[in-house]
Amino acid sequence: MNMKSYRLVRFLNNFFVYFILTFFAFIMLFPFFYMLSTSFKIPSDTFRYPPRMLPRDPITMQVDGYDEPLPLYFVDVDGVQKEYALVRSNIKVGTYAPVDNPAAVVDRFISEVKPTGGVMNQQKVVVNGEEVKLFDVEVDGQVVPMILVSQTTVGEFIDPQDPESEPVFQNVRLSEPVENVGWHPENYKEVIELNNLGRALTNTTLVTVLVVMGQLVTSVFGGYAFARLKFPGRDTVFVFYLGTIMIPFVMLIVPLYQLMVLIGWTDRLASLIIPWIFTAYGTFLMRQHFITFPKEIEEAALLDGASRFAILKDIIIPASIPALATQATFTFLYAWNSFIWPLVIINVGNEKNHVLTLALNVLRGRASDTPNLILAGAAIAIVPPLIVFILGQRFFVESVAGSGVKG
Amino acid sequence: MKTQSRIDAQTNLILRIHIIWRGLLALMAALSVWMIWARMAELPVWQKILFSLAAILVMVFSSYGAYQFSKHNHSGRMISLTLDYLGFVVCFVFALNVGEFFIGIDALGENFGKGIPYLGITVLGYFLGMLEEYFPTRNNASENSLKTVSKWVMLSGFLLFLWQVKALNGIVYFFGKFAQPGGMVAVIGLMVFGLSLWSMNRPNVAQALNVKTRHEQVINGWLFLSPNLLGFLIFFAGPLLLSFYFSFTDSDAIRTPNWVGFDNYAKILNIKFITLDVPDQLARDVVDIKVYDEVGRFTFGDRGILFAAEDKFFWLALRNTLTFVLFAVPLSVLPALVLSNVLNSKLPGMKFYRAVYFMPSIAAVVGISLVWQWLYNATIGYINYFITLGIEFWNNLFNVAIIDPKIQWVSDEKTALFAIIIIAAWQTMGFNTVLFLAGLQNIPGELYEAATVDGAGAWDKFWGITLPMLAPTTFYVVSTTTIQAMQVFEQVFILMNPPEGPNNSTITLVLYLYRSGFQNFKQGYASAIAWVLFIVIFGLTLIQFQRQRRSSIYES
Repeated sequence: MNMKSYRLVRFLNNFFVYFILTFFAFIMLFPFFYMLSTSFKIPSDTFRYPPRMLPRDPITMQVDGYDEPLPLYFVDVDGVQKEYALVRSNIKVGTYAPVDNPAAVVDRFISEVKPTGGVMNQQKVVVNGEEVKLFDVEVDGQVVPMILVSQTTVGEFIDPQDPESEPVFQNVRLSEPVENVGWHPENYKEVIELNNLGRALTNTTLVTVLVVMGQLVTSVFGGYAFARLKFPGRDTVFVFYLGTIMIPFVMLIVPLYQLMVLIGWTDRLASLIIPWIFTAYGTFLMRQHFITFPKEIEEAALLDGASRFAILKDIIIPASIPALATQATFTFLYAWNSFIWPLVIINVGNEKNHVLTLALNVLRGRASDTPNLILAGAAIAIVPPLIVFILGQRFFVESVAGSGVKG
Repeated sequence: MKTQSRIDAQTNLILRIHIIWRGLLALMAALSVWMIWARMAELPVWQKILFSLAAILVMVFSSYGAYQFSKHNHSGRMISLTLDYLGFVVCFVFALNVGEFFIGIDALGENFGKGIPYLGITVLGYFLGMLEEYFPTRNNASENSLKTVSKWVMLSGFLLFLWQVKALNGIVYFFGKFAQPGGMVAVIGLMVFGLSLWSMNRPNVAQALNVKTRHEQVINGWLFLSPNLLGFLIFFAGPLLLSFYFSFTDSDAIRTPNWVGFDNYAKILNIKFITLDVPDQLARDVVDIKVYDEVGRFTFGDRGILFAAEDKFFWLALRNTLTFVLFAVPLSVLPALVLSNVLNSKLPGMKFYRAVYFMPSIAAVVGISLVWQWLYNATIGYINYFITLGIEFWNNLFNVAIIDPKIQWVSDEKTALFAIIIIAAWQTMGFNTVLFLAGLQNIPGELYEAATVDGAGAWDKFWGITLPMLAPTTFYVVSTTTIQAMQVFEQVFILMNPPEGPNNSTITLVLYLYRSGFQNFKQGYASAIAWVLFIVIFGLTLIQFQRQRRSSIYES
C-alpha cells in the first residue's frame, strides 16, 4: 500500500470515529443543555414553536407619550420590515362583504361600523337559509350594507422614533417580536424560595452527608474485619453478605416501612439516614480493597504494639483515600438520587422533611404550565452530583470499570 | 494451677464481682420475661415472644458465663464481653432515643442550610492539610505549620458550623431528657455495662482468664464487624424475613396481620387460557368475570386464545416490565459495545468522551424524567421538532411527501412504554460503555497481534477475539442492566400522568407493588408481588449465568 492512500484511509477512519463519538456525545448532552437553557427562560418563551436553545427576552422601549415601556415587534411597512412598538392590542376587526358579492371583502374596525337601521331594529338578510345581520360599511365614501364574514383582533403599532406617524395594524400573535438573548436566573430564586426547593436542598444535603459518613465508617470497619481479622463465623457471615447483594431494594420497602412505623420514624429524616448507613455492598467493596493491602506492614505495626484500631486509622485509611473517595461518590449519588423510599416514608403534606426528589415530584404537579420553573428545579437536583462527578471523575470512572471486571 | 496462683487480690475481687454481675443479669432477664407476660398486656404477641426470647437467651448465656468464670475459662470472658457489649449498644441506642436524637435530625434540617458554608470551611481545612501530601516540602517546620493551620481551620469551621445550626440548644435539650426515668435507666445501664467491659479488658483480668493471642483477633473481628452486622440484621436481613412472612398474611400496616397461607400467591398466579370459537368472542361468555379479567387475547386465523387472570394488573405489569427489559437492555448494551470499541482506539480526547457518556447515569432519574417529559411534548418538544426537520429534509431531498407523524409520545398507548425505554437506554448506555471499555482494556494485545499475523481482518478479530474475551464483562453488564430494568419505576411515575399510562400501557411491577402496598395498603399482597418479582429477576440472572458458563466452556 502506498503511503498516501494509507494516510487517507487513516484520516477517514479517524474522521468517522470522531463523527460517531461526537454524535453520541450530542445525544448524551442535549437533554442537559435543554434543561439548563429552559431553566433560564421566561414562560412564554418556553412554549414557542419552533423551540430555540438560547433563552430570549422581548425588547421594550420607552416611547414619548406613554408611561409604560412598549414591546417592539417586526412590522411590515410598505414591504420594508421595521421595528415598531405595540401601543394597543385586542382591537377588533371585522371582515365585511356585500350580500350579492361575497368576494369583495373589506376590513373595518368593528367599533367604527354601525348596524344598518340602528341598534334597536337592525336589518337582516337571509343567506344560505340563515338570518344574518346587516351593517353599514363605508366604501370609497359610499355607505354599503354588508354582512360580517369573520372577525379577528389586531394590535396597533407605531414607529417609536416618530410616535405621531401613521400607525400600522396587524395581528399581534403572528407578529415576530423583537428579542435579544436574556437569561433569567430569578427562576432559580423562585423555585428555591417559593416552591420549597431550598429546604429540600438542605435536607438532601444533610441526609447525603450523614449517609456517606455513616456508610464509610461502618463499611471500613466491617471490610477490615472481613479482610484482615480471623475469627470463627467470619466466612459464614461473609457468604451471607454476598448472597444479599443481588437482592433488589424493592423487596424491603414494605417490611422496612412497617419497621419505621413501629419505631415511629415515618415522616422523619432519620428514616432516610439510619437504615442506609449499613450496606452489604459497600462492605464488600471495602473488603476487596483491603485484601490487596500488604500484610507485612500491618504485622510490623502489630509487633510494635499498635492496636488494630490504630493500624486502621494511621496506616490503612490514609493509604486508601482513592477507594474511600470512590465509595463516598457512589453513596453520595445513591443517597442524593433516591426517590422511591422517600416517596413511601415521607408524607406529601410534610414539606419540611421533603428531599429534592420529592420536592420535584410536588413541583411537577404544581408548576405544570411553567416548564422553566420545573427544569430549574431539575437542574438543582442534577447539577450538584455532576459537579461531584467532575471533581471525582478520575477515581470514579476507573473504579466503576474495576468493579465490573472483578464481577 | 500455676496461672491462678499469680492472680492478685484486686483481680480476684473483680472476678468475683463479675460472677455476681452475671448472676444478677440472668436474674434480671428472668424477671423481665415475667414482666413481659404479666404486666405488659398491650404489647402485640409477636413482640412479647421476641422480647422474651431475647431475655431468655441473655439469662442462659449469662448464667453459663458465670459458671465458666468460676472455672477461669476464657469462654466466660467472651460471653461476658458479648453480653455487656450488646447491653451497652442497646443502652446507647436507648439513650439516643430518649434524648430524641433521631427525631432531632429533623430540627437539624431547619438550620443546616445556614451551617453549610462553615462546613465548607471545615472541608477546606482538611484539604489544606492534604496539600502537603501533594507538594512535599523538605522543610519539616513548614509541614507541621501547615498541619497546625489545617487543624485550626477545621476546628473553627466546625465550631462555627455547630453554632450556626444551634447545636448547643440541641445538646442542652438532649441532656435535659436524661432527668426523666427512662434517661436515668439508660445512663445507669451505659455506666454499668461500660464499667464491666472496661474491667474485662484489663490485662490482669484477661490473663487470669487464660487469654491467648488469637482471642485478640476474634474480639476485634466481631467488634469491628458489629456496627455493620447489627445494622444489617436490623435493617436488611430482618425486614427480608419479615417480607417473606408478610407475603403469607393480609397485612395492611395498621391491624395485626392474619395468616392467609398461599392465598396471595394463588391470587397472583391464578390464570386461565381459553380457546375461543371466534376471535372477538366476549370474555364474559367464556370465563366467570366475577373472578377473572381479560388480560389479552391471541388470534390465529379464525380461532383465538383468551388470556384471563384473577389479577389482571399484575399480568399487565409483568408484560410491560418484560417488554421494557426486552428492549431497554439491548438498546443500552449494544450501542455501549460499539461505543466502547470505538473509544478503545488510542486517539486523543477519548477520556473526554468517556466522561460525557457517563454523565446521564449519575443524574437523578426524577430530574431526568422531568427533562424528557418536555422533550417528548408533542407540540413544542424538541424530539418531534427534530423529527419534523428530518422529514422535511428527506421530503425535499427525494421529492416525496412523507407525512409528519407528530407522535403523542406519552399519551399514546402505543408509544408510551417506548418513550420510557428510550430514557432508560439513554441513561444506562454510558455506564455500560465504561464497563465494556474496562473489559476491552484487559484483553491482552498479543492476541490481536497474533491474529494480524494470521491475516485476520478487523471483523474476524471482533468476532474471534473481542467478543469471547469480553464474555465475563458482557455477563456482568447484561445481568446488572436486567436487574435494574426489572425494577423500573421512577421514570414511569414521573413521566406518565397517571403513572400506569394510557390504558395501563406503562404499569410496571414495581409501580404495581407501590400501588398495592402504599396506595391500597394491601401490604401482604405487595410483599407477595415483591417475592414474585425477585423470583423472576433471579430466574433471568440464572439463565444468563448458564449461557455465560456454556459459552465459556466452548472457549476452553
